Amino acid sequence: MTTSQTSWAQTPERSNRLMLRVMTWISLQLGRQAARSVLHLITIYFLLFAPTSRRASRAYLNRALDRPVRWPDLYRHFFTFAATIHDRIYLINQRFDLFDFEVYGADILERLLVEGNGLFLMGAHLGSFEVIRAIGKKHTDLRVVMLMHEDNAQKINTVLAAINPESVQDIIGLGHIDSMLKVQERLDNGCVVGMLADRTPGRDTLYPVQILGDEARLPVGPFRMAALLRRPVIFMSGLYLGGNRYAIHFDYLADFSTVAPGGREAAMQAGLKRYAELLEQYCREAPYNWFNFFDFWQPSK
Amino acid sequence: MQDNQKSNSTTDLQDEVAQLMVECLNLEVTANQILPEAPLYGDGLGLDSIDVLEVALVVSKRYGVQLRTDSTDNQHIFSSLRSLCDYIAAHRTL
Repeated sequence: MTTSQTSWAQTPERSNRLMLRVMTWISLQLGRQAARSVLHLITIYFLLFAPTSRRASRAYLNRALDRPVRWPDLYRHFFTFAATIHDRIYLINQRFDLFDFEVYGADILERLLVEGNGLFLMGAHLGSFEVIRAIGKKHTDLRVVMLMHEDNAQKINTVLAAINPESVQDIIGLGHIDSMLKVQERLDNGCVVGMLADRTPGRDTLYPVQILGDEARLPVGPFRMAALLRRPVIFMSGLYLGGNRYAIHFDYLADFSTVAPGGREAAMQAGLKRYAELLEQYCREAPYNWFNFFDFWQPSK
Repeated sequence: MQDNQKSNSTTDLQDEVAQLMVECLNLEVTANQILPEAPLYGDGLGLDSIDVLEVALVVSKRYGVQLRTDSTDNQHIFSSLRSLCDYIAAHRTL
């Protein structure tokens, strides 16, 4: 295991934030169909003027597609990213009627919710995690708290408040002395604690895994937390399938509730490997949903 | 005389808690290298919030101390080994 900072954390997510601001404005003014035509212009803009993201997209698609990568692939990748960000605006405004959701593995989630001991929902920068809101509408006992870096938490809540003041998300910011005590408290109350576990915003121990045929390194923190708090973990992905269709998958990932302290390290490593397998599986299934526009497979320093 | 006993037991508790922290976090320092006044979190010993959780879990198990988020004192409790031990001494049930 090594400790290092990802290049993602070092470069500000300028293009993401800009895209989000532009799209919020357009969507609220024009509606989904009209706004989607603007998405194509935005896609072209970023395809032309975000060379770093374009290179990262090509490098990723080279791994995920079993054929040479062409311009239309890059276009589709960028468009998928823009479309899912755009749809967040409608999901936040509870316009679930606009979408067609296919849900897989909901029984896994339901079974654990009934137990009432809380659980972790780990996602990735893959598709849209926001679709959990659609699940929350059907299951009123589902209370989701998102765990994220404090800076992101503040930015997101500012944006959410602008889109729909009632939607401000329950967020626990990382980087406080008692962040984890808050997580523990929410779990004890039966809440689901969600997070995107494929990146680290700061320094975290990294663990090497195989994804799409090469070594990538995942942050250990999320799994260490789940192991210490002895909770089950479900992997969630909300894959965009085109048009107004999303496929929401819940996959069993790990259960740390019965792991003895001596077996913790091995259980964490098994969890990280399983996470990597699921990530790869869904990259193959819906390749254009990968939204890590930086070199995820950067070599160790 | 009483003061002497009190300061002895305080030092013992500090040694014990420092040892617990070194063991549960696999720290690269020895227990007696943890300065009683040095910050535990961030600069200083360099613990992150998951480390703090781990310490909180170990301490609550060993001494029967409950650490809750509704206490606004967490910042203070975890500010140093000494303040953590003061809190344990005042609230321990084991």
